Amino acid sequence: MERGLNRREFLAYSASGVGTLGVASTGLGSLLEAQAQMAIVRWTGAAPASPREEQKVASQLTEKVLEALGGMRRFVKQGDVVWIKPNMAWDRTREQAANTHPDVVATLVRLCLDAGAKRVKVGDNPCDLAQKTYAVSGIAEAAKKAGAEVVYLDRERFREVNIKGERLKTIPIYPEIMEADVVINVPIAKHHRLATATLCMKNYMGVVEKRQLFHQDIPTSLADITRFMKPPVCILDCTRILLDHGPKGGRLEDVETKWTIAAGTDIVALDAFGAEMLRRKPEEIGSVKKGAEFGLGVMDYRKLNPKEITLS
Amino acid sequence: MKAGSVVLPRWVRRVVQVVFLILFLWVVLATWTTADQLPRDWPKVFFLADPLLLVLTGIAARDVPLLLLWSLVTVVVTVLFGRIFCGWICPLGTVHSLAGWAFDKVQSRAKRRDAYTGWQKAKYYLLIGGLAMALFGGHWISIFDPLVLLYRTVATAISPAFQWGVEQTAHSVFQADPHLGPLHLTSLSEPVYQFFRDHVFAIPKQAFLGAGLVWLVFGLMVAANGYRRRFWCRYLCPLGALLGLLARWPLLRRWVNAEGCNQCGLCTTACHGSSASGPGQGWRPSECLMCLNCSQVCARESCSFGLSMPWKKEPTLQPVGLSRRGLFWSALGGLAALAGMRATPQGRANVYYHPQLIRPPGARPEPEFLARCTGCGMCMKVCPTGGLQPAITEAGLEGIFTPRLVPLIGHCDYNCTACGHVCPTEAIRPLSLEEKHQIKIGLAAFDPTRCIPYVYGRNCIVCEEHCPVPDKAIYCVEQELKLRNGQNRTVLMPRVDPDKCIGCGVCEHVCPLDDQPGVRVLSTNETRHDRHQPLPPEVPGQEDLPYG
Repeated sequence: MERGLNRREFLAYSASGVGTLGVASTGLGSLLEAQAQMAIVRWTGAAPASPREEQKVASQLTEKVLEALGGMRRFVKQGDVVWIKPNMAWDRTREQAANTHPDVVATLVRLCLDAGAKRVKVGDNPCDLAQKTYAVSGIAEAAKKAGAEVVYLDRERFREVNIKGERLKTIPIYPEIMEADVVINVPIAKHHRLATATLCMKNYMGVVEKRQLFHQDIPTSLADITRFMKPPVCILDCTRILLDHGPKGGRLEDVETKWTIAAGTDIVALDAFGAEMLRRKPEEIGSVKKGAEFGLGVMDYRKLNPKEITLS
Repeated sequence: MKAGSVVLPRWVRRVVQVVFLILFLWVVLATWTTADQLPRDWPKVFFLADPLLLVLTGIAARDVPLLLLWSLVTVVVTVLFGRIFCGWICPLGTVHSLAGWAFDKVQSRAKRRDAYTGWQKAKYYLLIGGLAMALFGGHWISIFDPLVLLYRTVATAISPAFQWGVEQTAHSVFQADPHLGPLHLTSLSEPVYQFFRDHVFAIPKQAFLGAGLVWLVFGLMVAANGYRRRFWCRYLCPLGALLGLLARWPLLRRWVNAEGCNQCGLCTTACHGSSASGPGQGWRPSECLMCLNCSQVCARESCSFGLSMPWKKEPTLQPVGLSRRGLFWSALGGLAALAGMRATPQGRANVYYHPQLIRPPGARPEPEFLARCTGCGMCMKVCPTGGLQPAITEAGLEGIFTPRLVPLIGHCDYNCTACGHVCPTEAIRPLSLEEKHQIKIGLAAFDPTRCIPYVYGRNCIVCEEHCPVPDKAIYCVEQELKLRNGQNRTVLMPRVDPDKCIGCGVCEHVCPLDDQPGVRVLSTNETRHDRHQPLPPEVPGQEDLPYG
């Protein structure tokens, strides 16, 4: 985790043209042009009608959004161990929009490997039975095919960690995730009865055990865990979004297709964008407010001048 | 020695026995669900070869699951060749053979008195008592069927104990991480553990209520071999009794050459079933397990097995020896036992309903369920959450070891129908997913003296989040509370819609209060009992009517 923070600060410096070491590490290009902190890619072509077309659209969107941020190499270095953390919590199919789109995850796996990652692991601590959730969501198969290791979290192996939070003092976290060089957070945008919306910050509930306790104060708990995880980059999957009966969903009437993916280095801004996708105001989401208060990012994502791209 | 007969060496039988035992253990371990597929049929294979289940279910439930008709093969084999099933195939018989072999090492030969005794008729009378029970819907003695017994023992006692050992060792090594320089013990323990976790254990930390009782029964059964070899098979086994009755006139018979026999007694000492009343004489096919030991140990080659037509008088066969009076009293005893079991509230399951007796989805109404359930534990073994547990007291003595859902241990997974698909007697019907989603196995109720929002005035609703019914059986009502500092707070109070709740128990399972949850699921409103429906559905659109 320490490394992730250093790199991010480092990139921020180099982007503003202060760091001279940037030449060696991030290349000359980044010195000449400030790197984007956020990008939004929308598909405006015909809605994909088959799984094959879906795969094409989803992987194009994912590739484009990372390209807009400066490419996967900006976050993943040669020889890194990467943990990709999708929202893979429920025994629901991709049409039901309760889990991240499997093709988005698979594309990220491929991009990480192309960027030189030594190992890419994909895993989540699901709410439903892991064996079923991994399979029914379609993520396990897609990720494995793309070259990732699919990891089932072992309940006995969580370690109590002192995260020095405001609400959470210690919480059991999965060591393999903490030990990864980079953790890529890739949730789906969904309605949530208690949190109003579940987006990037809320996705970190899958790296811990005893998650039920978060519910007594979701905003602060999420800000605590997010501060600890220090996200280097998040990808918010809005290919399909769930507008009601979340986070588990199940009714297709509550699902809307958007074919949009946002990504960035500012988790609060991404969540604010996600809130708008779900037809909410960012201020309505407690964790967004709390995240901004904690200094984890900015609530008005437009301030970051996100690169907006349309594909068709 | 009779001309044309062959003496098989002993190892042939021993190998066959061990192969079937290993096959049985593998079948038990392989009973699990794969991610999105139904369990396969073949783990039932041993039960399908069991004619006792066919007879009992046929009489008690007056219906026979078609697959059980396979057991007619066992019937035919037994009628023709005697209790080959007992001596060669039955895995519990093999366990007793092994126990006897071990006792042989530590006990003196004199300890083995192996002439036939009249007490061996006990098993027939017990079987008759059980069949009499079956006439009135009592399937009870099936819990003593040897295959059922061993399946239950392996699935709910031995395998969880082994799993505990493997998991505990691996976790301890992982946490302590002992190493010698760059050599870590974990590089050995982890792959072993991962192999078991991914390919052998169905779910992590599987454990069953009442495993101690199962161990006790199994321990006693094995220990009894020290008193008489194969005690269980000789005196008690109901399946052995049934096969014994079928093996009255087998084609395969023991021949003793009276001129060659000097009554040394080697044959009786080696006999598994104590089927003869003395050295070289009085052979009872109903007691013979066809182990063929007598023909192998005979030093004078005077004892052998050969085929003989049923109408032939030679060699003579001793009868089973049941008396009419004994049959009468054992039948009456069975009925008295059944009446005794039903003299408790749990025994009147269609009148009194035990709140914690949540049967798996597809379970038949209680009397019909008990007329089929053997308590084998296949459904519990296959349950992907581990929530299906044996009932110890909840279903009375008649329902001991039958499955019930314990939501605190595991809930009923919304998209799973595994239990009904493995049940060998269809006590739990095989359901399609659409059918399953319509079935209520119980009803959730919030406990306002425990539930966090009600008692402590904080938001929680983990239960609502997990409720698998697509339009949510748990819903929330906003309530304004005054805190002790005078501030107001709006808290979401969860409620249950009894029309939508299916009783899966996930709410109870995920409740952060893991000792006594704030929401409990009880058997109220279970679909299988028409009279256990205290909350009839509301008429859509007329919810206001009674209150207007």
